[in-house]
Parts: sequence; C-alpha cells; structure tokens
Amino acid sequence: MLLTRLKAGGPAIAKQGILVAFIVFMIAFSLMSDRFLSADNIMSVFRQSAIIGVMAIGVTIVVIGGNLDLSVGSMLSFATVLVVDLHDKIGPELAIPVMVMATLCLGAINGFLIGILRLNSLIVTLGMLSAIQGLVLIYSGGQNVDIVDQSGTWFAIFGRGAMFGIATPIIIFGTLALIFHIIMTTMPFGRRVHAVGGNPTASVFSGIPRSHVVFMTYLISALCVAIAAIILGSRVMGSQNNVGQGYELQVLAAVILGGTSLLGGSGSILRTVLGVLMLAFIQNGLILMGQPYYTQRLVTWAVIIVAVWLDVAAKRGRLFSPIA
Amino acid sequence: MRKSIRLLMTSCGALALAGAASADTIRIGITQNNVGIDSYQTTYERAFIEAAEANPDVEVIVLDAGGDVARQISQMQDLIQQNVDAIIIWPTDGQAVVPAVRNAHREGIPVIVTNSNIAEAGMDFIAAFSGPNNIQQGIYSAEMMCDALDGEGQIVQITGMPGYTTAIERQQGFDDRLAELCPGVTQLDIQPGDWNRERAQRTMETFLTRFDDIDGVYSGDDNMGVGALNAAIAADRAEGMVFIGATNFAVGYDAMARGEYWGSVYQSPVDDARAALQTALDVLAGEDVPKLNYFDTPKITRDNMDEFDRPVF
Repeated sequence: MLLTRLKAGGPAIAKQGILVAFIVFMIAFSLMSDRFLSADNIMSVFRQSAIIGVMAIGVTIVVIGGNLDLSVGSMLSFATVLVVDLHDKIGPELAIPVMVMATLCLGAINGFLIGILRLNSLIVTLGMLSAIQGLVLIYSGGQNVDIVDQSGTWFAIFGRGAMFGIATPIIIFGTLALIFHIIMTTMPFGRRVHAVGGNPTASVFSGIPRSHVVFMTYLISALCVAIAAIILGSRVMGSQNNVGQGYELQVLAAVILGGTSLLGGSGSILRTVLGVLMLAFIQNGLILMGQPYYTQRLVTWAVIIVAVWLDVAAKRGRLFSPIA
Repeated sequence: MRKSIRLLMTSCGALALAGAASADTIRIGITQNNVGIDSYQTTYERAFIEAAEANPDVEVIVLDAGGDVARQISQMQDLIQQNVDAIIIWPTDGQAVVPAVRNAHREGIPVIVTNSNIAEAGMDFIAAFSGPNNIQQGIYSAEMMCDALDGEGQIVQITGMPGYTTAIERQQGFDDRLAELCPGVTQLDIQPGDWNRERAQRTMETFLTRFDDIDGVYSGDDNMGVGALNAAIAADRAEGMVFIGATNFAVGYDAMARGEYWGSVYQSPVDDARAALQTALDVLAGEDVPKLNYFDTPKITRDNMDEFDRPVF
C-alpha cells in the first residue's frame, strides 16, 4: 500500500482517497467479524479477486487510452470454454497457446474497429459482447464443458496451485499488476496511452501513432482476459457458456472505484488493484457478517458511494464542499 | 343488414376452411426461453423437435426468445397471427409475459406453460403447466440431507440466482421440509451462487472461513454443488462433508460415482420436453387436463445411480 502511495500518479493529496476509504472499511469490517483479518481469509479474498483483477488491469489501460471495453465478460466466457474444451482434446500444452491466440484475435478485431476505423468504443464493444457470446454458443452447441481428469493434469497449477506458500492466482495477478504498472508509468508506451486518452488531437500532432496505441490497448485487454480464463478454467475445471456474464460490469466498477477517469488520460493500475480488492473484501465481509443477500446489494452500493465520496473528499481536502 | 349477414357468412366460410386445413395436422407453436445458454435448454429443444417429428399428426413452429422478454412477447403475437392450435411457452419472465398469454387466451388459443410457471395473475389464462415440481425437489433434497446426516448437524445452503422462481421454490421446499423432518439439523447461513460454479466456489470459500464446523452443503443445482465441493477439497475439508444438490449435472454424477457427492435430484430435459408436448396434445384432444402437470424428478444417490443415464449436460 505504501508502494501505491509512492507510485500513483497525480497530485500528492489525490492519491490517498481510495486508500483512506480502503483502510476505513478494513477497520470497520474487522471490528464486526474476528475472522475478517485472519491470514486465511485475506489469502482467500486475494485469490478470489485474481480473475476480476487480471481483467481489470487490461480494462484500466483501455480506459486510460480514452475508450471502454465492455466485451471482456463474454470474451472471458469464450476463452474459458475454449481452453477447457481443448484441454481434453489436444492437451493443455497446446490448448493454452491456441486459446490465447484466438482471444488475441478478438482483441485485434476490437482494436481494428476502434483504433484504425475510429468507431465508437462503447458501440463496438457492446456489440462484441453479444457477438462473442453468440460465438461461444456456436462453438459449444450450448453444452457445458468439463475437464474429465481433474486431479491428473498440470493445468491445475494456475487456479489451484501455490508457490512459496502463496496461491498461484495471487502471484499471477500481482506480477501482471507490477509489470503493467511499470510499463504505464515509466515506459514510452505508457506515456503514449496517457497522451492519446488525455488529448487525442494533441497526441496526433505530437507524432504519436494514435491508431497503433489504441489497437495495442485492446490487444493487452484481450491478453489479460486470456490469462484470467486460464485461472478460471483451472480453478473450476469446467465452464458454462455464460460464465463471464456480468463480469464486465464488476471489472468496470473496480476500475472506476480505483479512480481511473472514464474520460481517459488518467488512472493507475495499482489503484485499480485497490478497487478490485475493495469490492472483493466488501463481498466477503458482508457474507462473514451473515448479511442476507438482499441487503448485501444495498450495502455494497452504499459502500461504493462512501468510498467515492471519501476519494473526492481527500482530493478536495475536506468532507463537505460545494466546489471541487 | 344484408351486408353484415354476407360478411358473417364469408367469415364463417373462412373459419370452416381454416378448420378443414388444420383438421389433418395439429400446429403447435413453441417460444422458448434461451436455447443454447445452457446444456439443459439445448437438449430440451432437440428432444422437443424429435418428439414432434415422431408424431406424423403434429407440425411444430419452434421459436426462441434468446432470453429477451420483448422478443418473446412479439413471438407470442406472431404465433397468434399464424393461428396455431396451441402455444407452448417457456417464460423468460413469469410476470411480464402474462398480457401476451392473456391475448392468446382471448383468441381462443390454449397456452401451455413449460418448465417454469408464470405468475399467479396469469394462471386463469393458461390451459396447463407442465414441468418439474421445484418445491418437491427441495423437499427431496431436505430428506436426503436428513438421511445423510442422521438428523444431526450444521449445514450451509447455496441458492440459485436470487429472484428466480426455481431458486425460490427449491429453497422454500428445502427449508420447510428440513425444519419439519430434522429439527436437529441447523442451517448456518444461506447465500446465493447465481447458478454459477465459480461464484458458488467463492461463496463456499467464505463459508469455510466463517464456520469451523460444516457437516453438509445443499446447493440449488449440481453445477454450484461441484463448485462448493471444489472449495472444500481445496481447503482439505471435504472429507466427511455431505454434498446434496438438485438437477443432476454430468459433473455431479461423476462426483457421485467417485463418492464425493452424496445425492441430487434427477431432472431430464428430454422428459421435460416430451411432457410439454404431450400436455399440449392432451389439451387439444379435449381431455380433462389438470392445471399443474409435474413430470417425475426422482432422487439420485450413489446407491441407485446405475438406474440413470449420465446426464448429457
């Protein structure tokens, strides 16, 4: 968390909003349930958030570039069904690269339509959301797919394994977050994405290949979905056709909660990680407290509003302020 | 006056002609919920078409609403326009389709609801319902849980998508029967798994953190049940834990064969589809058909699983 504070972009005071909110909620939940801050529970929530988290990394980059990606939910269904189905047909060592290539192709279609043809990203990816779901159904014929030999495959390491006592999904999520954080904050590509999202016209005049940059953001998003699908397929060892349905909104909620501007040009991967963890801890905390499901939805909403409020308040330097 | 009589005669003639045309074949239209979204609905459609083709007197018009209420309502209107003999509907939304069902009823076309019933307000306008009895399925699961635990223990429940009739009815049947039959079994908590295996796995992981002692898990379907089982195996706590589900899936069947899964309720989409068509034919034959027609969904456990085929979904 210290790392987040030190490395997040933007003015000093603005960094702390989501972190303040995060800490406030962690303290509140730990007061209400003594299991909440146990090592087991924290590990379990980290592991659970890896799938949404990995996807959110890619979407954060797309959003910083000034676009949206709503197709990640059905893309996740596609990738998971594909990798699980191919696992038993051609083996995991071939299934994974084939699935990654196929998913990158979908990302390339998004990138081509939005980056090269300059179509509206909301319309394109909303359409892709439905088109890819159709593709999944055509591919699977509506059948669920399952890995038959669940205990005898090394494919299990991605979702169920552990290294140095840390669950593999957490390691994958953490590593990806760090790599892309470094790319976005220190490399020329990261600066270009920020420039393209912040002021597309100016970026073109500065000689930044805008089409190419936007295209790349969608390829990265698809790559993240493919990695999330490997974790999901390995964790569940099977897939429904609509397994990723609704994930696009959870991902977007985490990205926004992390303070990434929907207008593009600003945002941070590590803050998105905080947004992802916060949503996961809220869900977990409410079940630990034994809240009935119907009140959970209401409380989740209230918590998000308070978090956004604390974030804004930290930027303004006070809780109540009519003017930013 | 004369003009209106002539009009009356013409329309009578038209009706007679229409009657003659449809006398040899029975035309039945079906509008389904969302074919292809899961294996159950996919298998259902295939079985329905096969059953209809096996009967030379029946011609079916097979439509699918793709999960979209608006599309289903316009499909209902299309079928009314085509003047089919009967309409079978698998409601996308039990409440929203009621006006469309009422229209068909007004036009004198009998409506048979399949799989999931429509809202109470629409019951007067349907000829019959055909499908599984979800309350009974919940009761069966409660009885199996009671058997497996010998009437003593602590359990958790993972339900389907909140707000879905199937989820609500199964939970209701289970809760009521368990309380009545097995007061010694307490339910620690009930949380949704949204019919999604990964979501159920997450819910179960949180249960495992929260409760040190879980003797049994009831899941609203086997897909979620296997997710819960995965979580318990990963936490090394599956040993001795009783898993009961509903709608036996292939994965649940396999887990049962391995001895990891205790029992479920066997619901065949093929039986579901055949029952719907048969109910429609009975209604059209003028038989005295009861309002609610349930096809049999028996208990399946490790002891009797040889009597059942491995589910196709």
